[in-house]
Amino acid sequence: MIEGREIDHLVNLKAEEGYWLGSFEAMASPCEIFMEVEDQNLAARLLDIASVEAWRIESKFSRYRSDNIVHQINNSKGRPVKVDDEVAHLLDFAQQCWMLSEGMFDITSGVLRRVWHFDGGSRLPEKQDVDQVLSHVGWHKLTWSRPYLTLPDGMEIDFGGLGKEYAVDRSLLLLQKETHGAVLINYGGDINAKGQRKGGKPWSIGIENPGQLNTPMGVLKVNQGALATSGDARRFILNNGRRYGHILNPKTGWPVEGALRSVTVAGSTCTEAGLLATLALLQGEEGEAFLKNQDVTFWVTP
Amino acid sequence: MELKLTVCFLPVVLLLSGCSSLGVEPWERSTLAKPEMQLISDPVSSGLDDHIYFSKEGSSGGRGFAGGGCGCN
Amino acid sequence: MQLKKHKKIKHALTAATCTLLGVDATDSIAEEGDWAFDSAVLYYSEVDRVDAVEPVISATRDFGDEKLLNIKLVFDVLTGASANGATPSDQPQTFTRPSGKGAYTSSAEETPLDDTFKDTRIALSSQWEQPINRDYKTGFGVNFSTEYDYTSFSANGNLSRDFNKSNTTLSAGLSLAYDTISPEGDIPIAFSSMAIDSGQDDFRTEFNATRGDGEDTKDTVDLVFGLTQVVDKNTVMQLSYSFSDVNGYLTDPFKIVSVVDNNGRPVDYLYEKRPDSRNKQSLFWQAKHHFKSDVVDFSYRYFWDDWGITSHTVDLRYRWKLGRKSYLEPHIRYYDQSEADFYHRFLNEGDSLPDHASADYRLGDLNGITVGVKYGVALANEQELSLRLEYYLQSNDNTEGALPGILNDVDLYPDVEAIIFQLSYNF
Repeated sequence: MIEGREIDHLVNLKAEEGYWLGSFEAMASPCEIFMEVEDQNLAARLLDIASVEAWRIESKFSRYRSDNIVHQINNSKGRPVKVDDEVAHLLDFAQQCWMLSEGMFDITSGVLRRVWHFDGGSRLPEKQDVDQVLSHVGWHKLTWSRPYLTLPDGMEIDFGGLGKEYAVDRSLLLLQKETHGAVLINYGGDINAKGQRKGGKPWSIGIENPGQLNTPMGVLKVNQGALATSGDARRFILNNGRRYGHILNPKTGWPVEGALRSVTVAGSTCTEAGLLATLALLQGEEGEAFLKNQDVTFWVTP
Repeated sequence: MELKLTVCFLPVVLLLSGCSSLGVEPWERSTLAKPEMQLISDPVSSGLDDHIYFSKEGSSGGRGFAGGGCGCN
Repeated sequence: MQLKKHKKIKHALTAATCTLLGVDATDSIAEEGDWAFDSAVLYYSEVDRVDAVEPVISATRDFGDEKLLNIKLVFDVLTGASANGATPSDQPQTFTRPSGKGAYTSSAEETPLDDTFKDTRIALSSQWEQPINRDYKTGFGVNFSTEYDYTSFSANGNLSRDFNKSNTTLSAGLSLAYDTISPEGDIPIAFSSMAIDSGQDDFRTEFNATRGDGEDTKDTVDLVFGLTQVVDKNTVMQLSYSFSDVNGYLTDPFKIVSVVDNNGRPVDYLYEKRPDSRNKQSLFWQAKHHFKSDVVDFSYRYFWDDWGITSHTVDLRYRWKLGRKSYLEPHIRYYDQSEADFYHRFLNEGDSLPDHASADYRLGDLNGITVGVKYGVALANEQELSLRLEYYLQSNDNTEGALPGILNDVDLYPDVEAIIFQLSYNF
């Protein structure tokens, strides 16, 4: 275990021109911390704080682990589970998102992955299989009465749609308690930056998939604020010439028709930007109109 | 008298005839879930009021059990 | 299914995100505050009559999965005087205390009040609620109360079922109660004449001759059927029908009826007599609607029983939100009842005795109006403080027709006025 942790939890700090760049791996993504601070010790400490927070959130909310609260909830077999304040706040938030989206954003929809495999293949699931799994989907079927969550047997929750953005915002909050220097956090493309850089220069971030942004090849310029991206153009099923994207409608159990392939939204927090991006995908063909109505800056890949 | 009957039965008719169109989706319950929207939003005060009016008037019950448990009436 | 007209949700989402990120969320353990407490003190004061102080503490424990346990304790400390039913006269009147020990006197033209009214009541109740499955819910409860001369036990159960995406709920409840009354000085024999101690040697024997058993009981069966309907996102309503059957000793052992002569002067005081069964029914309708930030709550009750009483009750509250944390709630209630068949403000000398008779003003033709206001403020950590002040005015109407002699010159139907003040604290 200790060995494993050492291998997984490597951090790397290097000096760049006028700032420190820390990097590590968390939540199956490359993570970067840009810090405009003088002192290497401070930079190392900031990197340590951010990475520890990212790993903490990953281990607490990952659905791939068997030692965390999510596993405990998903294996509670209909018995109430008492959750701590942080989980309670996330559940409150998930409930509000579910209400605001009129049931489209639903953290219980993960079980649909048992029948849907967006591997670029052509096989669609049987309707009765979808319907069977769908009977275990729906936030209104669980009972959330703080601090107790009661999940009917067969249902699961998944914070995957919130976790990375939440980790970005949380890490940034913790760093701001330590420094007034400009800081940018980039966890796998979900970004939040705070503080004015000296000379007013924006941060330049290398972007893995630049096709989705109207920016010079592979480089994104960011001053302050958050950016989040939802969607994955590579995940789909092609059946009889028809393309089924990986965004599933939790009410029907089938992919949302006409969904944008990818959406990037700018906002004041990564969590909010990420949610708007996800909701835009869930709106299908109306995604772009939905975003226009929210008065936010956004980029879409149709 | 006829008017009174009509007024009395209007809510019943509304309820029964409109059942299919009345109601909300589960995710539209944020307002209804507020404590102040519960039918009995302040049970302690309601209990005290029931006790006062039970001991001062000839009628009781309606909302719940006519109750009593008091030598006051 | 698209969001209707792409409604703007960003502001609501920003607020939700602020709440999420605004808290210091580390691996803090959920606070052990699983018990939620509602406490209140009510002060009820009638002009020249009864004063009551009632502290209440109610504790609710959430076991998750909508399983709730509630335990409530109410104290009720009563002092003061209450109308004994006799008519006022142009002379002072002397009455024997219910215990037979001593007497009390009312001045000329005053409503005779029994000033021995003093009691402390303790009521303890417990209620358990839980879902059976997705659609069915059940609940059970027991109640116990005791006061100096009265004890009551009751048990209840209810079952409800949700239909139509939980927008419609049907419920049925049953409650059984068993009450025992054992007044000091025993239960008076109905329609016996009150023995008055005017120095006679055999007063004790005379008094004992008016006394029956040391205690008596009554049984109550209550049934309630309810229909709750969500109308839209902001409106919910309820309709219920209740049926209550009470059997046993329903008479008030402290109340008397004056027998008056042609001039309206009392010649005798008879202990009252009520039927030994009562069948009550009511229809209750309530609707609540949430405006942009305010809430209106309206209810109407129609009540009728086999004693001949029918009543209408209308209740209206408007919760006016003052800001993020406080509200002001004006309240008005109007009550109107017709008298019981056996209600007689007095009996005439020489007339044959009816089967039952009571001069208890609460069984007469009366109406009551309550106006009040409540102010509530939310404190930190989900605590709430509220104050309530109400004024209650009850008026009886004369239904006797022509009055004999002096009764035309006295107030046979005095108003009852009361102030209700309540302080509540939920934590």
